[in-house]
Amino acid sequence: MNNTENIIEIKGLKKSYDNGKIKALNGMDLEVKKGEFISIMGPSGSGKSSLLNMIGALDTANEGSIMVAGIDLMKTKKLNKFRSKEIGFVFQMHNLIPNLSVIENVQIPMFETNASSTEMRERALELLKAVDLEDKIDQKPTKLSGGERQRVAIARALVNHPSIILADEPTGSLDSKTGEVILNLLKDLHAKENVTLVMVTHEPYVGNMAERIVNVLDGKCQNIVSSLS
Amino acid sequence: MCIDIIKGCEKREIMSFLSLVVKNPFRNKTRSALAIVGIAIGIMVIVALGMVTGGLKNSTQSTLKAGAAEITVVQAGSNSFESGGTINESTAADILNLSGVKDTTGILRASNTSTSIATTSSNSSQGGFAGPGGGLSITGIDSSKLSLLGIDSLNGTVFTNSSTNQVIMGKTVAQDLNKTVGDTIDLYGQNFTIVGTFETGSFLTDAGIMMPLANLQNLTSNQNKVSDVLVKVTDNANVTTVSNEIDNAYPNQLTTTTAADQANRINQGLSFIDTASWAISLLAIFIGAVGVINTMIMSVYERTREIGVLKAVGWTDRRILGMILGESIVLTLIAFVVGTIIAVVGVELILTLSPSVGGIITPSFSYDIFLRAFLVAFLVGVFGGLYPAYRASRLSPTEALRYE
Repeated sequence: MNNTENIIEIKGLKKSYDNGKIKALNGMDLEVKKGEFISIMGPSGSGKSSLLNMIGALDTANEGSIMVAGIDLMKTKKLNKFRSKEIGFVFQMHNLIPNLSVIENVQIPMFETNASSTEMRERALELLKAVDLEDKIDQKPTKLSGGERQRVAIARALVNHPSIILADEPTGSLDSKTGEVILNLLKDLHAKENVTLVMVTHEPYVGNMAERIVNVLDGKCQNIVSSLS
Repeated sequence: MCIDIIKGCEKREIMSFLSLVVKNPFRNKTRSALAIVGIAIGIMVIVALGMVTGGLKNSTQSTLKAGAAEITVVQAGSNSFESGGTINESTAADILNLSGVKDTTGILRASNTSTSIATTSSNSSQGGFAGPGGGLSITGIDSSKLSLLGIDSLNGTVFTNSSTNQVIMGKTVAQDLNKTVGDTIDLYGQNFTIVGTFETGSFLTDAGIMMPLANLQNLTSNQNKVSDVLVKVTDNANVTTVSNEIDNAYPNQLTTTTAADQANRINQGLSFIDTASWAISLLAIFIGAVGVINTMIMSVYERTREIGVLKAVGWTDRRILGMILGESIVLTLIAFVVGTIIAVVGVELILTLSPSVGGIITPSFSYDIFLRAFLVAFLVGVFGGLYPAYRASRLSPTEALRYE
C-alpha cells in the first residue's frame, strides 16, 4: 500500500443504538489516504466518536462497508488482532494502568505480539525517548503531570507500529500550552513513523492542525475541507 | 544514551504477563489481605486437622505391627480396656493348644489411682496419664512376652519377672511425668525403679507402664488371674478363623477381638473426625470463596475502563479472562502458603506447650495433606475467579471505555 492509496474506505455506514431509536451513524462516507492527518469535527452527539470506534474496530456497524488497512471490518472475526496490529489509540483520559511503571504501560499492547521481553523493552525505550520521557521510565503514572501521561499514552499507541493512530480529544484534559506540545508531538510522530492520524476534536484550533478537516453532523460527513495550516 | 538506558533497564525486572498477574491483586492491599485471610483460615483448618488425624491414623496402624498379638481374648461381657483379673491365668496355656495359635500370654491390666510419683501424689487429676480406670495405666506381663504388645526394643533393660520393684515405661507417660531410665516412681505405695522405656508407635501402649505379671497380681490381689489373653497366630493361619475357634472353644466365657477390629474401630472414630473436619473446612472455604468472588468482582468493577483499554490495544478475551483468573489464583495460593505456615507452627506450638497432648499425637507431615490443601486453594481460586473473569472478558470495549 503506497501513500496514494486509501487506508480507510467507508461507504454508507450506519450504526444505531437502543433498537434503532438513536442513529449514531446515518450513511457515513469517508476516505482517508495512507499517511494522512485528518481531524474529525462536529458537535456533541454528531457521531464523531462512533465513527472513531468503527475505524478502530471497537464497535461494529449495522449496515454499509468499512475497509481499514485492507481489512473488511464488516466480515473479519479477528478484531482484536486487527486492533493490535493496525491501530493505536490515544484517549482524552490517557487511561494508563496506575500500578504499572511508565515503561510497563508502554509495553502492554505488545503482549499480543510475538516480541520477546528484550524487544518489548527496547521498543518501549525507543518511544519513551522520542516523547522525551526516558528519565521517567520507572515512575508510576500517578507521579506524572497530565502532559507527561498523555505522552506515555502516545508512546503506548505507537509501540506496535500501527498503520493508524486514532486520537479521541487528545488535548481535552490538558491546558492549552500542554495541549499544543502534545499536538506537535503527535504531528511529528505521524510524520516520522509514517502513520495515518485520525483525530477527533471539537476545538477549531486543534482541528486546523490537520491536513484535512472532516465535519460530521447527524451521523454523516457534511463537508471535507483542507486545513488552513 | 539509548544504549545506556537499555543496559540499565536490563538489570530491572522483566515485564511479563505473569508479573502483571502477580502484581495486580496488590493494587488494593487491604481488600486483598482480607480475602487472603478468609481463605487462609480454611486452609489452616484443613492442614491442622489433617496433621492431627493423620498422626492418630499412623498410631493406629502401629498397633498392627508385625510380631504383636493379632487377637485379644477377654472375659465375655467385658472389653479389652477393662482392668482387673477375670480369667484364669492357665487359660493362656489352654488356648496355646488350639490349632493355628503360635504363642499366648496372659496380661493383667490395672490402673493406679491412689499412688504418688516420687513425693507427689500421682492420680489422673495431677498430670498422670489417665489409664483405664483413671490414673496411670499399668500392665502386668511376662518379660519374655513383651513382643506380643509390640514392644520390640527398649531404652535400658527389661524387668526381671521375679522382681518386685522394677517397671518399664512407655514414651508418652515418661515424657508426661518427666521420667527417664533410673528414676523411681511410686505405685501402690511402693517405690519402683524405671529400668527401661519403650516406644511402639501405638498411643495406647506408649501411654502405659509394664511390670512383672506376678507382682501386679499380688499388688492388686488378682493371684493367678489375668484380664486379657494375647494370642499370636501361626504364619499360615487365618486370624479370623483362629478367633472364631477361640470363641467356639469358650462359648459365653470368653470373647475375642482382633487387632484389625480394634484398628477399624479407632479408624471409624477417626473417619468421623475426618468428616467433621471436612465439614468445618468446607464451611471455612465457602466463606473464603465468597470473599474471593467479592474481591475479584470489585476489582473488575473498578477496572472496567482499564479493561476497555486493554481490549482497545488488542488484548483477546482469553487473555483478559486469564489475567483475572490468574489474579484470583494468586490470592488463594498466597492464602495456601499463609494458612499452611500458621497450621504447622500452630500445631507444633500447641503440642510443645501441652506435653500431655503432644505425647499422644505425633503430627503427620504426609505430603497428601499439603497437596489436598493446595488443590483446595487452587480450585477456590479458579471457581472464585471464574465469574468475575468471564464478566471482564465479555465487556464491550466501547461501554468499558465510557465507564465512569
